[in-house]
Amino acid sequence: MSKLMPKLFLLLTMTSSIFVGCGGGEEVAEVPAKNSSPINSDGNTIRLYNGKIEIDAALKAYAQLYTEQTGVNVIIESIGGGADVNGTLKGYLAADNMPDMFVFDGSGYETWKDQFADLSDQAWVTDTDVAYVTPDGKVVGFPYAIEGYGLTYNKDLLDKAGIDPATLTSYNAYADAFAKLNGMKEELGIDAVVSMAASVAGGMTWSTGNHNFGTYLATGLDPYDTSIIDGIHNGVTPDRARLDQYAKFVKLLFDYSDEYVLISGSYDDQLALWIDQKAVFIHQGNWIDPNLINEGLTFEVGIAPSAFLEKETDGILAGAPSWWGVYKDSDHLQETKDFLNSLALTEEGETALVLDAGMISPFKSTTVLPTAPLAKNVQEWVVAGKTYPWHWSSMPDGFGMNTIGPLYELLATDAIDATLFADMVESAVAENAQK
Amino acid sequence: MEVKENKTWSIVGLIGIILTIGILVYDVSILSQVDALEKSGGNILFNYRGIILVSGIVLIILGAMKMPSHKHNSIVNTVFLLPVLMTFFITVLLPFGIGIFYSFTDWNGLKFEEFVGLANYLDIFGDAKFRYSFFITFIFTLLNVVIVNAVAFALALMVTSNLRGANFYKAAYFVPNLIGGIVLGYVWQFVFNRVIPQLLGGEVASMLTNPNLALAAIIIVSTWQYGGYIMMLYVTGLQSVPKSVLEASSIDGATYPQTLRFITMPMIANSFTVCLFLTIVNSFKQFDLNFAITNGGPIRIVDKAAMYSTEFLALNIYKTAITENNYSAAQAKAVIFFIIIASVSLLQVSINKRKEIEA
Repeated sequence: MSKLMPKLFLLLTMTSSIFVGCGGGEEVAEVPAKNSSPINSDGNTIRLYNGKIEIDAALKAYAQLYTEQTGVNVIIESIGGGADVNGTLKGYLAADNMPDMFVFDGSGYETWKDQFADLSDQAWVTDTDVAYVTPDGKVVGFPYAIEGYGLTYNKDLLDKAGIDPATLTSYNAYADAFAKLNGMKEELGIDAVVSMAASVAGGMTWSTGNHNFGTYLATGLDPYDTSIIDGIHNGVTPDRARLDQYAKFVKLLFDYSDEYVLISGSYDDQLALWIDQKAVFIHQGNWIDPNLINEGLTFEVGIAPSAFLEKETDGILAGAPSWWGVYKDSDHLQETKDFLNSLALTEEGETALVLDAGMISPFKSTTVLPTAPLAKNVQEWVVAGKTYPWHWSSMPDGFGMNTIGPLYELLATDAIDATLFADMVESAVAENAQK
Repeated sequence: MEVKENKTWSIVGLIGIILTIGILVYDVSILSQVDALEKSGGNILFNYRGIILVSGIVLIILGAMKMPSHKHNSIVNTVFLLPVLMTFFITVLLPFGIGIFYSFTDWNGLKFEEFVGLANYLDIFGDAKFRYSFFITFIFTLLNVVIVNAVAFALALMVTSNLRGANFYKAAYFVPNLIGGIVLGYVWQFVFNRVIPQLLGGEVASMLTNPNLALAAIIIVSTWQYGGYIMMLYVTGLQSVPKSVLEASSIDGATYPQTLRFITMPMIANSFTVCLFLTIVNSFKQFDLNFAITNGGPIRIVDKAAMYSTEFLALNIYKTAITENNYSAAQAKAVIFFIIIASVSLLQVSINKRKEIEA
């Protein structure tokens, strides 16, 4: 028996590696059974299922450090690149192979709600505003980062045009700035004012249907005012004037966007246009930092609010993109909780999240500040308290990407106008609630 | 003595049958309480149900093998086939059955809480997007089958004629079929988005932004990818037409079109059966090109609602399950999908077979 087990294990690893090879678009990072420290003989091993492949290396480095300090082995398993995060996890649960910690997002809560351990008594809970709290008030999600977005600008170009980004806080300010920039195209050497992509074929409905629509749900409202997002769930649109104003703003953005990128471009096309300084604004957030650093950023950047209202709304959308939940039937509940605490509250943990992974710490007591250009800017907004929450992540599954996203494409191709866009959003909301 | 022993083995077999069926019935009856039972540590029946099931099956096999009957040989044969039959059952029949079962529940990919009867089926037929998807898949299949077969047949005629370098062309036309659909889809997306508009002067919008042209784009790529494969099947058919028949027809003064229409085509009727079957099934199940080239887009307005103009059934099912996290509805759609493909292809094969016989 004792001789058989290692062989069986080897066989399993080999077969699973074959499956990984066949997995098409999936990028399952290798489980570091052999390259990190050996699994302890007492089996003190915890496993994290991470949905953000970009931070895989940073997490693994921290896991190794943590093992050296505590003797608890941490396996980081990362999946990403458009892979089916929930599907894989469902497979794990069915196969009784559930990781101790797993990633989930706002709309995934319903699916996993029976699997969470209660984390309300953890030390980090009081140190953050963005933990995932269930409707009945329990904390179940560990926030590992804050992300922020708005209209990210090229400060050098704005300076050249004599526009102060701090003034971009209302619809009219944007309308004037866009018109001015558009008139200076040749001087500035730009193709278009805005780099935004809205096509279904380019796979961009997450940017429009989720992120951009998210500004409609939150901008200018009290952080605890959930009237619009509640309306999405109940099939009502409480403030039609707000929706009309939002539609008008989207139309404005599209009118000044690069035509090709807008109606057929992919994420890469969108980024390339802006990084090449062929557009002043890009509708993305601090997650594009790695791309900027890779391309050798040569200009100053910052994020301006996606301020669609006529009144002043000085704040960007910032929130936790997803959380890590702890599996309630984990054999190592305490070790898992300890690991999360160390990640949140020790300096090494903060360094791993902020400096190595290039994210923004969701914890108020943090002393480590980000260095990536956009992360630094988002951090400033957070510290100044000028943020609006990410209500969009609690929209019904697929509603933003599948139902609302397509409407942006129609608006972008001029198949509908702003009023019809608002009408269609309203009826989509009503229909969705009947399902 | 003999008789007594026979009776014993019959009883053993009977006990096996009772145990097996009993456990299966028990399993179904506790489906909704499995979680609770596991948590509470279960009871004897629950914890040992696997062992009881296996011993039941073993008893059935023993009973069947030892029972002298004039079917003894076929029973033994079946027993020896069991490993393969079980594999087939577990990997094909069982998932299929479970799939149908889930389509009547509110399954979410993890577990189900209640039976909803036909609600999933009623919902999906009330879903305008699914109806549109249905419609566009039919259109696509119709066009794609005709075009792929026409192109493939023409190419096959070409490479079997006395063309110089025919083997090179044969290989060249077949190569696209060796490239994975997703890769191919993204390459062609680039061609449609960037290359073609550039060639046409740079001011033309990409084909993929127009609903009808986007459908045409998928058909073009699908033909390019699949035409070579179907061509090979026609080539095999054409090569099997006896030279003597063709010579006889030319001596009788038949023109090329006449030979083609009245000699060659009837002679390779079975190739048509196979090729039509393959293209119909392939077109209905089209997923990878659809996913990579258009992802369902562009959007078209139908009855004041936004529709994914090129979202075929397979992609629609995928999105229902993965993006909308609605596994039971997707499962119901998949059942309908199966019924349609099965009936259309069976109908086609039976019609073509009749033609073969006539010929």
